[in-house]
Amino acid sequence: MALLQTENLSFRYPGAEKAALQGVSLSIEAGSFTVVCGPSGCGKTTLLRLFKPELAPAGEQTGRILFAGEPAASARPGAIGFVQQNPDSQIVTDKVWHELAFGLENLGLPVETIRRRVGETASFFGIQGWFRQKTDELSGGQKQLLNLAAVLMMQPRLLILDEPTSQLDPIAAADFIAALQKINRELGLTVLLAEHRLEEVFPIADRVAVLQEGRLLLHEPPRAVAPKLLSISPDHPMLHALPSAVRVWRHLAAGGACPLTVREGRRFLEERYAGVALPPPPVEAPPAGACALDVKNVWFRYEKESPDVLRGLSLRVTRGEMLCLLGGNGAGKTTALQIMAGLDRPVRGKVLLHGRELKTYRGGALYRHNLALLPQNPQTVFVKDTLRADLNEMLAAMETPPAERAGRMEQMAKELGIAHLLAAHPYDLSGGEQQKAALAKVLLSDPTVLLLDEPTKGIDAFAKRGLSELLRALTRRGMTVVAVTHDVEFAAEAADRCAFLFDGEILSVEPPRNFFAENNFYTTAANRMARGLWKTAVTCEQVAACCRAAEERL
Amino acid sequence: MKQDLLALFALILLAAVLISGTEVQSVDEYYRTHADEIPPQSETVTLSIRCDSVLRHYDQLDPALRSPEFVPPDGVILPPTRYLLRPGDTVFDILQRAVRQNGIQMEFQGAEKSPFGSVYVQGIHWLYEFSCGPLSGWVYRVDGAFPHYGCSRYTLQNGQTIEWIYTCELGQDVGAEWIGGQPS
Amino acid sequence: MKAFAGLHPAVTMTYFVLLLTVCMFLPHPVLQGQALVCGALTCALLCRRGAARDVGFYLPLFLLVAVTNPLFSHNGVTPLFFLNGNPVTLEALLYGLSLAAMVVGVLLWCKAYNEVMTSDKFLYLFGAVTPKLSLVLSMALRFLPAYRRQARRVSRAQKAMGLYAGSSMVCRVKNRLRVLAAMVTWSLENAMETAASMKARGYGSGKRRTHFSLFRFRPADGAFFAALLLLAAAPLAAAAAGALNFTYYPRLSQLQTTPAAWVAYAAYGLFLLLPAMWEAKEALVWRCCKRKI
Repeated sequence: MALLQTENLSFRYPGAEKAALQGVSLSIEAGSFTVVCGPSGCGKTTLLRLFKPELAPAGEQTGRILFAGEPAASARPGAIGFVQQNPDSQIVTDKVWHELAFGLENLGLPVETIRRRVGETASFFGIQGWFRQKTDELSGGQKQLLNLAAVLMMQPRLLILDEPTSQLDPIAAADFIAALQKINRELGLTVLLAEHRLEEVFPIADRVAVLQEGRLLLHEPPRAVAPKLLSISPDHPMLHALPSAVRVWRHLAAGGACPLTVREGRRFLEERYAGVALPPPPVEAPPAGACALDVKNVWFRYEKESPDVLRGLSLRVTRGEMLCLLGGNGAGKTTALQIMAGLDRPVRGKVLLHGRELKTYRGGALYRHNLALLPQNPQTVFVKDTLRADLNEMLAAMETPPAERAGRMEQMAKELGIAHLLAAHPYDLSGGEQQKAALAKVLLSDPTVLLLDEPTKGIDAFAKRGLSELLRALTRRGMTVVAVTHDVEFAAEAADRCAFLFDGEILSVEPPRNFFAENNFYTTAANRMARGLWKTAVTCEQVAACCRAAEERL
Repeated sequence: MKQDLLALFALILLAAVLISGTEVQSVDEYYRTHADEIPPQSETVTLSIRCDSVLRHYDQLDPALRSPEFVPPDGVILPPTRYLLRPGDTVFDILQRAVRQNGIQMEFQGAEKSPFGSVYVQGIHWLYEFSCGPLSGWVYRVDGAFPHYGCSRYTLQNGQTIEWIYTCELGQDVGAEWIGGQPS
Repeated sequence: MKAFAGLHPAVTMTYFVLLLTVCMFLPHPVLQGQALVCGALTCALLCRRGAARDVGFYLPLFLLVAVTNPLFSHNGVTPLFFLNGNPVTLEALLYGLSLAAMVVGVLLWCKAYNEVMTSDKFLYLFGAVTPKLSLVLSMALRFLPAYRRQARRVSRAQKAMGLYAGSSMVCRVKNRLRVLAAMVTWSLENAMETAASMKARGYGSGKRRTHFSLFRFRPADGAFFAALLLLAAAPLAAAAAGALNFTYYPRLSQLQTTPAAWVAYAAYGLFLLLPAMWEAKEALVWRCCKRKI
């Protein structure tokens, strides 16, 4: 039975030329797990919000939305649960237990009922440990789990989630997806999830709906998605966003059942190419050149009494290279970056930029044509009402002559593909657009060393590819880039060298192929599939290339 | 922060004490000044202190003061007594000399602190302003008239009679027509 | 002080309100002395670590207040010496001591109040009166730290881009203003999402909201409540009956030794020791439990 059904649903925002949704007919089975994906701006969020009457955007809507056979607007409050993207802004109250109770308080249920349901929900999600804590003190993953639990308190029949893991680190994201799977499997709750990080959710979904420019491109079981996409267009952009196993499979055009998980992918490769040895790839020489940024034995802690965050961190970044700093949560990555950016002073040790100690740069000289930091949350970069004003401010601060400013801005906007966004309010841009706009602002300071904090957080596969190409172009021009990231796939593709940070110090610095070949757990999905055969194949393309070479030998 | 505030407060107190001078006298020193010998022919004035009105308003009196020790049954705290008048003596000078010679408690506010620019007598013989109702306090009369200025600005002449009277009704009960808010 | 802090907020609140009322409106030397000593004891139990540092504050404060009074008040039948023609009397000195005991006592108990009545307890009590306001307060408590953190992030982000990185006063003020402007937008944006999240969870659905809390009124709370009412009633009744009158000026009145007064002293003493006794009781119960195992 279909729990949720749309019939020829179209929607247009007031004043928009193009419709956000066009003729979407979708049927969600009760108890199913459906993943909605598609490039940014494809109408995912609009579609999901239309399903939740309280959050439905204003605009011109045609077609019908039926929930359990009735118009969705007549559903009881709480029958459709909705979890949004940002873990922080969804939390209403100051205590975890109060947040859980909030929805039921609104429904006016008696205190004893609330107490019971709060207890039940908290133990189902393993919240007891931080039940009495302040919501402000939680980690991002805990916050999002709390949002999920608070929505489930209302006993919904349908759970809608709009990119809930985009602001989380991979481990928290995996935990969150596991919780979703548990809810779907154990409670039979219908889940509708919009997501751009498909590696984990793709295999567990019953159905995958792909949206493109407001139209429903396909709505199929996951295994059928790649073949369908290939039949629509052999180079469909959506193919790049699929899990690594699928991407390797499609590179080979091998036919047969499409593998979805690392396990399936590994079996797929081993069945075909077992025992085929390939000559090792040419050794990637570490980049040569002068040292741009030299971190020497840096120790740091936030408070006098608190434990050390960095313990003798040393790192030499060569001029013109792109270095990715990888590591788990709390390893001190962001702290290390803040110190490299001169925002925090090391307790011991020093940081040299182009051979000069950071603290000897005075009166803003450090940030003028020298060093720039793009923070984790691109929103913190903007302070004006339009992107143009923000970029202008940066040019003024860099003392660019007024006559040259317009040209400079034009050029930068063109290069980053944001020329059409200059008049928009920075907060109205999508995640990927915000990232690019923020980068544009930072790049206007013309830095020689660019520091990036989690540049791939919250952006989709297409934006990620664009970013990695852009960074490569910048390093070719001689800019040095240091990025702190959780994203091993991104590091494998974009970096010249990767460094592994653990417990406040650097454990290894190597070119990505050697780096990931030596790691067992901390490596890309493609490498995990292929490492039994070819240890140094790290990206999907490299694995596919190895496969092709192996075909020739067979 | 808290400590700093405390230190500041202590400092201000110390400064206040130092600025206002520190003349310390023992009790005996203060009260020992015996009555002056009054040579014949010298100029004198007569001073008396009374609180009859309190007896009529006994119900309003502060309970702690309801004792003959503080309010004499006849209302007389100091019967009319002659005092030597030195040139320039004010009403206040004579009062102070009288209470010191008779060991009568008295509290006053110095002229520099008073808004009237004159010494203000707050209490005599433990009877204070407001001790007997909200309109009570000390007033003085010279030769039957209530002067319109403070007691330390009234310079006396030979033979004048000063009466310090406790009023419970802003002067009306003791015959003052109107005392413009300054009972002394 | 886990046991006392674990009591129902209504009970602890009543306790502190009654205590502070007696402290401030019954200036009797015996009661004040008791309040001071027990306040110090309770504070020491509540915050063991800071106790030593606090002595450095409260002791000088006590002496200061005690000394200040006789310098400015000269009433009293027992002059000790004369300062600039005004008597410094024994009564004024004792009155100063009593004032100091009151001030320091009230401060100590306020400190204990702060330690025990955390914001959520206060919110809970408030919420019983007006649920809307308590929700607003709870949201504010959630929002403020988030705001502060974001403001710091924005200002650091701006600094690391070289905007107004100068150290002059003008630069700093300018930077503050820019951050503030950005924060207004951020707050609005954030508020929109929070509002969506509230609506999505049935806020404003027209039903009367329940006021949920984790606090329960247990039998132990009832016992404590009864005890505190009973014990506080004694000094209040005695005071109302005039059995606790005490004056300093002009002559110290006799300390009452009537049976009524004795009952009042004893009851008030017990009242003040309630938190400490409650703690001791819990500790005892705990020890007994351990032994049985």
